[in-house]
Amino acid sequence: MNAAPIIDAQGLGRRYGRRTVLRDVSIQVGPGEVFGVVGPDGAGKTTLLQILAAILRPSFGSCRVLGEDIRKHADRVQARVGYMSQGFSLYDRLTVAENIAFASAIRDVPKDAFAARKTELLAMAGLERFQDRREGALSGGMRKKLALCANLIHEPPLLILDEPSLGVDPLSRRELWRILDSARKEGRSIVFATSYMDEADASDRVLLLRDGQPLALGAPSELRSAARGHVYSVRTTNPEAAEAALQTSPRVLSFQRRSSEEVRVQFRSAGEPPDLGLHCRELKPVEPSMEDVFTVVSSQDAPIEAVQATPARGPRSEVLVAATHVTRQFGDFVAVDDVTVEVKAGEVLGLLGPNGAGKTTLIRILCGLLAPSGGQARIAGFDVARQSEQVRASIGYVSQKFSLFTDLTAQENLTFFGRAYGVPPSEMAARIAWACERAGVSTFELGLVRSLSSAIRQRLALACAILHRPRVLFLDEPTSGVDPLSRFRFWRLIAALASEGVAVIVSTHYLEEATYCDRLGLMMDGRMIALGTLQALKADLGLADARVEDVFLSFIARERVKADAA
Amino acid sequence: MKVARIFAFARKETLEIIRDPITVWIALFMPLVILFLFGYALSFDVKDAPLIIVDHDKSAASRALSDQFLNTTYFRQVGAPDDERIAEHALMQGEARAVLSIPPGFGRRLRQGEAAPVEFLVDGTYASTAAIVSAYGRAIMYAFPRGTLQLPVQPEVRVWYNPQLRSRDFIVPGLFAVILMAFPPLLTALAVSREKELGTIAQIYASPLTKPEFIVGKLLPYAAIAFLQLVIVLAAGFLWFKVPMHGSLALLVALGLLYVLCTVSIGLLVSTLVRTQVAAMLVTLIVTLMPSFLFSGFIYPIFTMPPFFQGYSARIPTMYFVNISRGIVMRGTGLAELWINVVVLAVYTAVVLTLATLLLKKRIA
Repeated sequence: MNAAPIIDAQGLGRRYGRRTVLRDVSIQVGPGEVFGVVGPDGAGKTTLLQILAAILRPSFGSCRVLGEDIRKHADRVQARVGYMSQGFSLYDRLTVAENIAFASAIRDVPKDAFAARKTELLAMAGLERFQDRREGALSGGMRKKLALCANLIHEPPLLILDEPSLGVDPLSRRELWRILDSARKEGRSIVFATSYMDEADASDRVLLLRDGQPLALGAPSELRSAARGHVYSVRTTNPEAAEAALQTSPRVLSFQRRSSEEVRVQFRSAGEPPDLGLHCRELKPVEPSMEDVFTVVSSQDAPIEAVQATPARGPRSEVLVAATHVTRQFGDFVAVDDVTVEVKAGEVLGLLGPNGAGKTTLIRILCGLLAPSGGQARIAGFDVARQSEQVRASIGYVSQKFSLFTDLTAQENLTFFGRAYGVPPSEMAARIAWACERAGVSTFELGLVRSLSSAIRQRLALACAILHRPRVLFLDEPTSGVDPLSRFRFWRLIAALASEGVAVIVSTHYLEEATYCDRLGLMMDGRMIALGTLQALKADLGLADARVEDVFLSFIARERVKADAA
Repeated sequence: MKVARIFAFARKETLEIIRDPITVWIALFMPLVILFLFGYALSFDVKDAPLIIVDHDKSAASRALSDQFLNTTYFRQVGAPDDERIAEHALMQGEARAVLSIPPGFGRRLRQGEAAPVEFLVDGTYASTAAIVSAYGRAIMYAFPRGTLQLPVQPEVRVWYNPQLRSRDFIVPGLFAVILMAFPPLLTALAVSREKELGTIAQIYASPLTKPEFIVGKLLPYAAIAFLQLVIVLAAGFLWFKVPMHGSLALLVALGLLYVLCTVSIGLLVSTLVRTQVAAMLVTLIVTLMPSFLFSGFIYPIFTMPPFFQGYSARIPTMYFVNISRGIVMRGTGLAELWINVVVLAVYTAVVLTLATLLLKKRIA
């Protein structure tokens, strides 16, 4: 393709005060190209996208977008691109039709072109039935699709999308990408940020970013072949022992348990793998995924961190969480609908589901933060509605936002939460040391919490939540927006806590994380549509080799059939 | 500037406003709440001031003088001791605001055509109330039959424009200016900073909408609301409080429209400088409401202020509309006398709007 590039960036960077959040980005994006910007939170993805949309001035470098200099002619770039920011960018008090009409009117779309374009886009997004509904009353997935339609109404040659599928249910995510696919077929270039590796894999080229610095740039196939030889799969009957062996080898970068008989390993260097002993006999090279690529390139020069291997876990019998027919209504809206679930000591229950499925509400009810409208729930034997005092003493809770005080240091946060939970002053130091060791965080983290990365904040929030040695731990989307490596590490910490007899309930919208949980609860529209081990759920569907996403989609489809029949 | 884009933007803003019950409530009811609160509570009129009468004379003439005081609505008697010390004690305790002391022989002296001194003691703790009470006392004594009380000069004072000195007739036209400076800028600043907080503004940044279009598109709907507020407070002022109107209502409404354009522009200017709704609210209150109460002549006349604060007051548009509003309502003044205020408001609005347009950044940072 020799056409003029849509984006031509040289040495782009941005500084806020003394802090450089992005540097040395040099990329070219051609017409019709799908370009993924991949990296963890705080990597500089949003900054880069805002610079490309000409709504943020770069501190270094130069860049032409659609042939216009983004410094001199920002207005011309702004007028021609489609830019979708993270979160919800439309007006919640306006209806679907009004939002589309507004987006089109401020972008000078002629009236007759608008009508045809609107019909086509809304049909593609499956929103034509909801034209008179207010944007704020749509589901998260629908809001995202609508925002995308609003950005396609003026047929921009370049679409810039900041984490378009963040927190969107799998079905809506597929629809979102179907719309994007047709936009690509119309010749539009798409630049998008993501933390989903499968989306990265589907793009023409990707840029991997970490800490504001580009790590790798190229087609996914190129990047994967560069990582070839680094990635192996271990077949074993004793994964605990295999992991223990992997942990001791200096050549091992990272490993993740895939199932009860498979562990995936990334090596520091390509080539013949070292002898890892009896339990890692069946070691065979596998085709690297984008997740593996990210692990390999981002850990190249990172210091080796002692990762705690997953300790062995035995089943325990004491039921610590018992919810029966729990329901919660907000006005007409049923946020949690007749949920019955039990969690035993030492067990990890994963709550999976899109935003708005009721995961957070269910967790809040079980924590005693929200009274159920119906049904009953007991935590460690205490009734959540009537004995909330005792319930709160028995639980640890990490909320989505990691409720830390960002203007205090790590140590100050720990001391505050320790006092708030009534840890005796004489035991405080020992308790903090214990909690930090369990959460894999050092109390020597300098500076205020707001300057810490989200991965460290996440572990600090975990430390704060376990200071009073709770028997039940609730984690509400603790891994959202955290890079894959830190996520694996976090799951290992959770497993370690469970092995000590803590019952854990974790919610997540990363479906691949399901493999870390003992049992799964799939939630949709407030209902628990499936509950059981991953194997049991697969068996139920008759899909032995299915991915978690397919399992989830099949259950959603089954629910829809049931609903239609009713 | 493209009219279609401005219209689309203003329409979207209007839809958002009418669908938010809180905004509608603040816009329509809060001005009335403030008008009623201050219209009723803030009064410089003295009514039923507690008065002690020490009558040493106990003649027909002394009783006539006492009755003269008590037959007004200004005073009510709270005691009639024989001893001045008891009266002074009551004054000190705040049980009485004034003491009328009639010496022995008052009636005899009057009959003989001699000067008949009486003592009128006023509690000066509240300076403005004291001045009013003593003026009332003096007026009653002037009016005493035959004008024989001992008074060296007998001036004839007439009050123009508000002959009964009804303070409500003076407060309410001032409140028009203060209320229209309080709510329109607040609503406007909140609307823009809300877009910044929710992130919906990113969509505006990445669009062909220009800065002047943005400013005008926001200005129009909020100026319309502010104009509605103007109509509401004027209606309440004239119909409920029955403030007499001496000038042209059409002129007041026309100049009110100019004034609300000015106050909404101030809200826009504030919103270009802050990022959050909380900051918008605080800054707006500090730059609009607070100085409007103190430095607009609404309560405290500007000509009695030290020169520095007179200069400060001249920088706050409220003062000019207080002049306009009181001028038209109380004195029946026309443009011939008020034009300078109108010119200042117009220039002020133009400058603020230009500044807001220049300071608005169509960028995140």
